[in-house]
Amino acid sequence: MTYLDFGATSLRKPRQVGEAVRWAMEHCANPGRGGYGAAMEAARVVFDCRERAGKLFDCEPEQVVFTANCTHGLNIAIRSLVQPGDRVVISGFEHNAVTRPLHALGAEWMVAGRKLFDWEDTLSRFEDALKQRPKAAVFTHVSNVFGYILPVEQMAALCRDRGIPFIVDAAQSAGSIPVSLKKLGAEFIAMPGHKGLLGPQGTGLLLCGREGTPLLAGGTGSDSRLQDMPEYLPERLEAGTVNVPGIAGLSAGLDFIKRAGIENIGLREHREAARCAGDLRKLGCKVFSGPHQAGTVSFLPEGDCEEASEALGRRGIALRAGLHCAPLAHESAGTLETGTVRVSFGWNANAQQTRKLLTAVSKQMGQKS
Amino acid sequence: MKFYYVTFRSVTHGQRGEKLLTNENIRCHLLRTPKWMEVKGCGYSLRIWTEDINLPVALLRGNHVPMQRVYIQTPEGTLEEMNL
Repeated sequence: MTYLDFGATSLRKPRQVGEAVRWAMEHCANPGRGGYGAAMEAARVVFDCRERAGKLFDCEPEQVVFTANCTHGLNIAIRSLVQPGDRVVISGFEHNAVTRPLHALGAEWMVAGRKLFDWEDTLSRFEDALKQRPKAAVFTHVSNVFGYILPVEQMAALCRDRGIPFIVDAAQSAGSIPVSLKKLGAEFIAMPGHKGLLGPQGTGLLLCGREGTPLLAGGTGSDSRLQDMPEYLPERLEAGTVNVPGIAGLSAGLDFIKRAGIENIGLREHREAARCAGDLRKLGCKVFSGPHQAGTVSFLPEGDCEEASEALGRRGIALRAGLHCAPLAHESAGTLETGTVRVSFGWNANAQQTRKLLTAVSKQMGQKS
Repeated sequence: MKFYYVTFRSVTHGQRGEKLLTNENIRCHLLRTPKWMEVKGCGYSLRIWTEDINLPVALLRGNHVPMQRVYIQTPEGTLEEMNL
């Protein structure tokens, strides 16, 4: 199988990740609860991961909160900043992980910037929307459908200048593009552990620029006499036992990324995505590509996108089709009714993957015509 | 050599402290806070071996590691809280 669905999860992971998961399952008890060897070993594994994440994303270890996935982190972040009825600015490329929590809260949102790969449009619309004095802003770093890299540093500066708190969804950028909590000055940055960070599913990180509101309440192994959740991080946002085997795997993933270099991984993904976009276009497909694009490309095949993806799956190519849980992004690009087929490269991106994809698409098109 | 306890509410704070002091070659060990020392229930402490506790405390404070209390072991073997 040629796996090109890294936007959904990194199915192919470095060997060390699985080894770390297994090791933790056999050696780690509950972290932060006991003082015996296996409990302290678990605490060490968890702290090492916080420290690695803190170094990679420019923050202190206690600002790194473990979540079950990026959506979990976004829910904490949104509930920390937004109350029912509040107005929030979002980009035109948000995932349901942002819009559904806002909808569930009864918040209003203003969509700012709908043009793909157009920083001028994104920034001018975003700046206009901030004039409406929203309670908060939430924006993705990279569109999960189109790979559009939004100008998050400039958007962050616009928010900071106006005193508007903001959240960054780094679901598609973490591990491929540098992210700094300190430089952005975000209230929260949410990311999954199992995509670009190469950890197991069931892991995620929430980088916290402030304490935040707990989504869950429960045991933390600390301040046990108190019925309120601790006011300090990371315990405040980590009720219950954390996923130690998952965190051990994530830690190994972070270590791999540090050694490989985030910029190198991102460049590799981008280069392959650009090659893929060009070649698909030569085949006659409608391809969504442009400047400021990461390692993800969407295209419109002949006929139904889901059927095309399924047919390519039968030819050994693993892709994702449809709306990718991001109807807003498809609405912005005019593909809400058709959906797209998405190709998303990962840390092991290479020309052979693109060749295999192009051969399969070409055969598929030939068979249809 | 004297020994001290510095208590923390969070294991993460204790771990940061342990790393910081170890990097400065100050001998210390992270363990559960003895029950009689804890204030709000359950926490971790650093047991520190040093001649002068002011240096580790200054390091912890200077690096914004939140700590609770400091105890010194007296020659009789009992622990007494210190005001630093």
